[in-house]
Amino acid sequence: MDREPLIRRKTAISYKTEEKTVMRGYDLSELAEEGYSFSDALFVMYQNRIPTEEEEKMLKYEMGVFMEHSMSPSAVAAIGVSAGRPNLPCAIAAAVSTFGGVHGPGAAHGYMLNKYLERAKKEGKTVDEMAKTLVDEYMDAGRPVMGMGQPQHIDSDPRAEPIHLRQEELEIEGVYLEFQRALEKHFHARRKKEGRSYVGVNVVGSGNTALMEIGFSPNAGWCLGSVCRGFSCAAHALFNMKKGRAWGASRNEPMVQMIDLSMIKYVGPEDRIVPKQEDRQEHARREKEKGEYKKWVI
Amino acid sequence: MGNLTDKPELNEKKGKIGNLDSPKNPFDYSKRQYGTVPLDTDRAPFQWVSEVAYKNVHRIVSRGYDTSEVMEEGYGIVDMLFIDYQARIPLVEEEQMLNYVMILALEDGLSMPAVMSRMVARSKTFLTQAAGASILAFGHAYGAYSAFGNRLEHYLDIAEAEGLTLEQAAELLVKENIHDEALGVSSLMLKDPAARRMIARAEKLGVAGKYIEFTKEIVKAAQNLSEEPIGLDMMGATGATMLDLGFSPEATWAILAVTRAFASGAHYIEEVERTESCRTGQTLTPKEFYDGPEDRPVPPLKDRDKVAKSGICHTIDEWTEAREERKKIVGSGHSIVEEIEDPSKKSGIKKVGKL
Repeated sequence: MDREPLIRRKTAISYKTEEKTVMRGYDLSELAEEGYSFSDALFVMYQNRIPTEEEEKMLKYEMGVFMEHSMSPSAVAAIGVSAGRPNLPCAIAAAVSTFGGVHGPGAAHGYMLNKYLERAKKEGKTVDEMAKTLVDEYMDAGRPVMGMGQPQHIDSDPRAEPIHLRQEELEIEGVYLEFQRALEKHFHARRKKEGRSYVGVNVVGSGNTALMEIGFSPNAGWCLGSVCRGFSCAAHALFNMKKGRAWGASRNEPMVQMIDLSMIKYVGPEDRIVPKQEDRQEHARREKEKGEYKKWVI
Repeated sequence: MGNLTDKPELNEKKGKIGNLDSPKNPFDYSKRQYGTVPLDTDRAPFQWVSEVAYKNVHRIVSRGYDTSEVMEEGYGIVDMLFIDYQARIPLVEEEQMLNYVMILALEDGLSMPAVMSRMVARSKTFLTQAAGASILAFGHAYGAYSAFGNRLEHYLDIAEAEGLTLEQAAELLVKENIHDEALGVSSLMLKDPAARRMIARAEKLGVAGKYIEFTKEIVKAAQNLSEEPIGLDMMGATGATMLDLGFSPEATWAILAVTRAFASGAHYIEEVERTESCRTGQTLTPKEFYDGPEDRPVPPLKDRDKVAKSGICHTIDEWTEAREERKKIVGSGHSIVEEIEDPSKKSGIKKVGKL
């Protein structure tokens, strides 16, 4: 059996021999035998260290509360992909890949915090002053402040504040939580002053703050969140694969299905005649000159 | 809503279009309607139906448990896996065992998921894209937990139906699947005790059950049949333990693929940190890697009739002969056969391999 490396790389993460698999110097089997948790192993993986008990508890809480979120873009993607009955990993991969600039933007939130903390250091400002600067700069520019607001939990994300509270209870609050709390304070104050409705912190705002506080980089935190959601999305895909109808269009189901023909609403150009090939060039030229097509260009 | 409409004038203006008016068509295309289908009010409107979870403005609830309350009560991510997949709170020992399994499943060096994550990373993507790609590495050879688990269940069903002992069922399974990548027995872990330790830990925690027992019989049967030294591998140990923890083969597949994706993020990060991005057209493939047809001139288009060969086979004999020739063209796909079935409850592919 060929056991040669698939690619040649120097790596500081792990090595694997016939005798053992070693991650950041620790034999994985030894790590498990000693009774460490999966959350502990993630600290070793990303930070090359065994965490304190409080840090381990925080990560366990954050991932646990983030894992399941019923119907979000990630679960919908998993269910949509599963409708064609590919192998299950395809549905999970799609779900994890939905995490971007809006859905669970953990890295974006982390980079935002780091950028403004760096500025605070450079400009000699306090955490509170810099949080106000952030809020003003974002809101003046009409940009959404990362970590605030959730389209479904409109009166405050049920996961968010409890994460902050758990972080405080575990006494692992540091500069990130201080900054995030200040950011929320100035955000709320400005919206109130402008007569706008209350928008609470979301799970990225609080959860990612906690992850950054316990030493994860923006991308590592993003990985922990988005991949952990993959667990629940797989469950949603599996439920649909095992107990639902493939395709999602059957007319024999008592409920209209996900992609039943009646679910399609069309708002594009009117029905029209396909030009014959002999008329094609003239038609195409006219269409291009008129330019009406531009309003449909995406 | 919906606006299904007959448009006879439009259809008339269109006139004859290709073969659409052929009498061989099982329809009269010129009389077909335009527009969208009205909402079906005879049936219940579409909703996302789920046994797994729901949420409202205030709560997220999985299998009846408010997830915030679950965390506040001191449970964690591993407990949530039991809740989401099995609708139950696990025993402490089960939670400990799954933690153990997930640590072992987290990292595997520069194996396929890590490599896939790294390759995607070099194209300057989001981390999530690379993590998603790494999950696609889990198939029916690498990380083949669905294939492994479904096979165990299949032969346990046979044992029950035919009154076979576990030993006999294991012998049958091994006889029929000795070369399968998802057997759970191989030469891969002869020097590494991790797989055997996992089973020992499951037994110590009291969570070992019929799947581990059956897997042990499979190991014995495979060792009896093999001329080479072989033993329990990580597929066998992990797969059997997960089944004994109550996870279905598909749930096992999903959980372990996602577990590895946590590590693929670190590989993505390291790749970005230590290598350059790769541009379109940048990567060369040296001639010495190539063993296809010799370099040759492209015939002028006007000579197409002289050099072109038809691929149409008019008889079974012609087809058979052509197929054999085509199998020799590496990369054509003619030498591969797959039986793809609905993977809803099974592993998805009955058989994959070379003809």
